[in-house]
Amino acid sequence: MSKHDQKTRSLADINQKILKGTAQVLTAEEMKKLVESSGVEVAFKEVDVVTTGTFGAMCASGAVINLGHADPPIKIQRAWLNDVEVCHPGAAVDLFIGATNACEKKPFEYGGGHVIQDLVAGNEVELRATAYGTDCYPRTSVKTTITKDDLNQFQLLNFRNGYQRYNCAINCSDETIYTYMSKLLPHMRNATFSGAGELAPLMNDPDYETIGFGTKIFLGGGQGYIIGEGTQHSPKNLNGTLMVKGDAKNMSPEFLQGAAFTRYGTSLYVGLGIPIPILNEGLVRKTAIRDTEIFTDVIDYSVMRRDKPKLCRVSYAELKSGAISVNGKRVRVSSLSSLKMAKKVAQTLKNWINEGQFTLTAPIEQLPLDTVFKPMRQTQEIPFVSNVMHPAVTCMEHEEIRAIAERIVTKSVNHIVVINADGKLLGIVTSWDITRAMAEGKKALVDIETRKVITAKPDEPLESASKRMAYHSISALPVIDSEHKVLGIVTSEDVSKLLGR
Amino acid sequence: MARILVRLNEALVSEPIVSEVILENKVLVAILAAHINSKGGEIILEVLDDDVDKLVSAFRQKGVTVTVPKIIAVDTDRCFSCGSCVALCPVEAITVTEDLTIHFSKEKCVGSACNLCVDTCPVRAINSTKYSKPENLSNRNEYREK
Repeated sequence: MSKHDQKTRSLADINQKILKGTAQVLTAEEMKKLVESSGVEVAFKEVDVVTTGTFGAMCASGAVINLGHADPPIKIQRAWLNDVEVCHPGAAVDLFIGATNACEKKPFEYGGGHVIQDLVAGNEVELRATAYGTDCYPRTSVKTTITKDDLNQFQLLNFRNGYQRYNCAINCSDETIYTYMSKLLPHMRNATFSGAGELAPLMNDPDYETIGFGTKIFLGGGQGYIIGEGTQHSPKNLNGTLMVKGDAKNMSPEFLQGAAFTRYGTSLYVGLGIPIPILNEGLVRKTAIRDTEIFTDVIDYSVMRRDKPKLCRVSYAELKSGAISVNGKRVRVSSLSSLKMAKKVAQTLKNWINEGQFTLTAPIEQLPLDTVFKPMRQTQEIPFVSNVMHPAVTCMEHEEIRAIAERIVTKSVNHIVVINADGKLLGIVTSWDITRAMAEGKKALVDIETRKVITAKPDEPLESASKRMAYHSISALPVIDSEHKVLGIVTSEDVSKLLGR
Repeated sequence: MARILVRLNEALVSEPIVSEVILENKVLVAILAAHINSKGGEIILEVLDDDVDKLVSAFRQKGVTVTVPKIIAVDTDRCFSCGSCVALCPVEAITVTEDLTIHFSKEKCVGSACNLCVDTCPVRAINSTKYSKPENLSNRNEYREK
């Protein structure tokens, strides 16, 4: 067999070419086009490395820092950086900045992700710390300012990054909800998705043939390493994740950006890129994967349970087109991760390899292919709306206000639910509405009932129903099924009896 | 072109006020969006810059509340083109260009009368001067498409 007919090449050969400046490197996007136009064999002959990239909000990110010792020394018990409480995992002056830890002064606007970005950018950050004081660490408080140059170590340490793919989120309820998948308007008026699809690192090597423990990667604009599978790694259903680390002192604030999601909290956008050595034709086929072949589920995020209903399956090609079809309805869809930045990550990594600055590493161990993501073992039951709801006192829209007033008295309730002949919810009327109608001389129910009713679902946790009542300053929620049929009512009295508030 | 937000109360909502104003002032008006029910309504109108003052006073004389919405400003240095705002825009003023950059059209944007995109930006690159804090935003402030 002549050298040109070989169906494999070694990583050592690729690295030699990189150092000589003769390696052929394509981004994942370029590779797909080449395979489509010229076929697998040609692409194998011509390409040594394919670079992938993603840039998304990765909440399971953080950084370990070592402050060095104060004089007199302190064994930190609690600490804050720019008013963001950071975790003290042990010893005296090591701290972990979690990306989602919130600033005490502006909790939904600034958090751990922003602290990391500020440090990476070289900005001064205020440190406050307290301690109980010991003979060896006598000090009980410290306040100072630090920059990354003052730190002994500043390591980005992300325990779950680079999701192979992610859900598409939608909201079927009557109210806007604010989630880590951003703002979701009611009645499926928009949808959001995350992940780079065909550009995403793990999607281009779904069997983890070249990506494993010890793989050198692009991380936050600097170099990093994969140190294992990420938490919640679930490869069997294409939800693989990575645990990564890298020296944050050499990273760039362009590729590590603090983020704030209204009414959810803060996070960190992380640029992550992985080079895939094209060792054989199988890897050519894997890196040729297209968005049309990558599917994800459209999930109703308004259901406040662990298992949320899947409405349908869509491809990343449909998601990136800007609109999907859900139950026959056209829904406009937005990306939460930046595809523009994902391409920039892949391009930057390609440039590094072309310039001979970045060579490839073989994994020292494979990522597991069989782990599952288990739910939490729970030893205590929590109450749901169905546990406390009771039959609603109802009326029809044509009834006279006087008849409804009588019902309020005889049944001794404050809320009457207005229904149609099929038992479906039309509105709600309270004893206060009746009182006002009397004062204003109104006779018709339609003039006083509330039509835009805030409702609850029977399988919803009681706590979330209670929060909704407090948020809207109301004292009862009709409980309805998916067809808007009234099943009962839950009141703030029911909640306080059970939850003791 | 400028945009004005017209709010009709319960008493005025059944009157042909927009038509009257158009006929009496002989102006061109485009209705960009309207949300009307028996309790009142909100209409966003696009008008020529030179007609703004004339129209605002004409509507006000008829007892209509008129506001000229504040402009939404996008800090393009901050924006890294995630695109989370795109599908929220009811008038498709936010689009994705061929090179995957998010493009914001000031001409199409209806301004702070809508504000749907403002609190969704993860890096707070979208601002209207009307609402400085996202906590002030609630469902009630959102402009709803009919």
